[in-house]
Amino acid sequence: MIASGRKRARSAALAVLAALAIAFSGCGDLSNDELNRGVESLSALAAQGELVANGVARDATKTTYARAMARTLSEQAEHEAEKLADATLEEPETDDQRHAAVAVAEEIAGLLSTLQTFPGDEHHAELVEKHLGEAGEKADAIVAQLSGDAP
Amino acid sequence: MYVVHRLLDEQICDAEGKRVGRVDDIELQGNPPRVTALLVGEGLYPRRLPRSLARLARRISGPETWGKNALRIPWEEVDELTSTVKLRKKAEDLGLGQGDDPGRWIVGRLPWN
Amino acid sequence: MKAILKIALGIIAAIGGFLDIGDLVFTTQAGALFRYDLLWAVVLGVIGIAVYAEMSGRVAAVSGRPVFDVIRMRMGFGMGLLALVASTIVNVLTLAAELGGIAIVLELLFDAPYAMFVVAAAIALVGIVALLPFGGIERFFGYGGLLLFVVVATVFHQNPDWGEVGRGFIPSIDSSTLYLYFVVGVFAAALMPYEVHFYSSGAIEEGWTEENLKENRLNAIIGYGIGGILAVGLVIVSGFLFHPLGVEPDNLGTVALPMQGAFGETGLLLALGGMLFCVGGAAIDSSFAASYNLAQFLGWEWGRYQGPRKAPRFTASWLVFLLLGIAIAQSGINPVDITEYSVVLAVVALPLTYLPVLLIAGDRSFMDRYANGPIATTLGWLYFAVIVVLALAAIPLLLATNAGGG
Repeated sequence: MIASGRKRARSAALAVLAALAIAFSGCGDLSNDELNRGVESLSALAAQGELVANGVARDATKTTYARAMARTLSEQAEHEAEKLADATLEEPETDDQRHAAVAVAEEIAGLLSTLQTFPGDEHHAELVEKHLGEAGEKADAIVAQLSGDAP
Repeated sequence: MYVVHRLLDEQICDAEGKRVGRVDDIELQGNPPRVTALLVGEGLYPRRLPRSLARLARRISGPETWGKNALRIPWEEVDELTSTVKLRKKAEDLGLGQGDDPGRWIVGRLPWN
Repeated sequence: MKAILKIALGIIAAIGGFLDIGDLVFTTQAGALFRYDLLWAVVLGVIGIAVYAEMSGRVAAVSGRPVFDVIRMRMGFGMGLLALVASTIVNVLTLAAELGGIAIVLELLFDAPYAMFVVAAAIALVGIVALLPFGGIERFFGYGGLLLFVVVATVFHQNPDWGEVGRGFIPSIDSSTLYLYFVVGVFAAALMPYEVHFYSSGAIEEGWTEENLKENRLNAIIGYGIGGILAVGLVIVSGFLFHPLGVEPDNLGTVALPMQGAFGETGLLLALGGMLFCVGGAAIDSSFAASYNLAQFLGWEWGRYQGPRKAPRFTASWLVFLLLGIAIAQSGINPVDITEYSVVLAVVALPLTYLPVLLIAGDRSFMDRYANGPIATTLGWLYFAVIVVLALAAIPLLLATNAGGG
């Protein structure tokens, strides 16, 4: 219900731009910077998810809170995955990174979904926290690769 | 002229202290000009706006209909001028504050009244 | 001792509704993005609202004129109407964001759909307004907001680098547009006009006279000072936890995470509870401000103390604004996004409602010996300059940073 309006608005805005670009042929693809930004936000989502999962793992939070937060963050990760998957890249060499990013986004969304389903389960939360940490590191690695590629 | 400047847009209260509108315009007569009446009502708003907006405002407020959306309060009815224009009579006697009547009809029907 | 307690409680009641969803969002984001670097902007904004509120309260107590009476009287019909339209748009957007904020917090506490909570929140507000006297409404939200002092406890629990924190209070201008956007945002979120318009009308609801001027000054300085402490606390806890992790707080629930981290479920519940009362108070204040401004500009009878029968148009307009707020909150736009816009638009419209109050507060023919002294005059005009600069910069920065999206 509470989708990330801003990310959605950005996706919508990018979609409109992409459509116009196709009509006017050639420009408006996802630049290296925007791809960078997208992957950074994945890292941020993972980090926030870790905090929520940590709360559940320590039995130091309320289940409704954990569930609602996990749901929102999962939706945001899903949107980011869709946005990255749909976009046409300005620099086709970054396609590998884009695919990797989509995979990470999907992974993050899935982990948060699990947390959403089991917001009171400490054991699950411990695992989710650990895997989110790894996913976050993968996202950071992709960002590093993109920055390395940048001229 | 200072009096006009201070009078215009002031809150008007009746003898009982009830708020009954603002001085939307002023009637001046004679030479030197003297204030002969206060004018109140939505019908007068278009007069106060720059020409570009006045036409739109006129559409919304309707033509100046004296007695309905424009009321004339003779200057003699003014009791004193402090931070409001206080009148001698009660609102009903002057035909003021009617806007708060039809409203009353609706609000009176709300559950907690 | 009893007198001090009475004054303290009065102060707290007076500033309930000051810390709203705008403050919660902008302070948390500012901390996450820039750590402690924007603390000075928070302080600048808090002093600003203290200045504006003190003048408005003084004008109301001495001359019996609330803000929109002053505006219409000093600026005339045309400019006054412009101020009214701008102010109403901002207030309705703010109200919608606050209603949405209440619903989000309720969703975090209880398992039920957002849409239901928006309506439930509105009904609860109507009930509270109908059943409690004006002072009671203020106390209800003011005291409840004190729960948010768990933020201050969290700061001390985190034990940040105090040197770094201290440096954040020294103004620094980063050239990045995102930084400048947050300078405007943090300042504007602290200096929301609805709060002052509500405060000045509240002074008249409570029948203030010259005798209340000391109370007015205490409310302004200590009251908003307390609010400022909470706002500063929010920046610090967010900066301490989120900045190193790169967390982007796009959700209202994220605001409570540091308190959960420090004090577990208790910390979380205190934080969410405090947020609920703060945002609820803001919903009351912004909805009333919208009705106050409309009624005062047009000359209608107004005031909660009058009751619905004596001020029917005022009451009806309040309900209409509430319905508009519900509609916007239900429209599917994220309240956090609505907030970004309502805060920015508020500062753009701020000069229009600030200047008339400043002029009248300094005018001896209205204020007699209570007109602005040298301190109030200096601060008043200084802040007018700041407000104008920020008002001009606000929209360009909003567009350039994609509403803080970067």
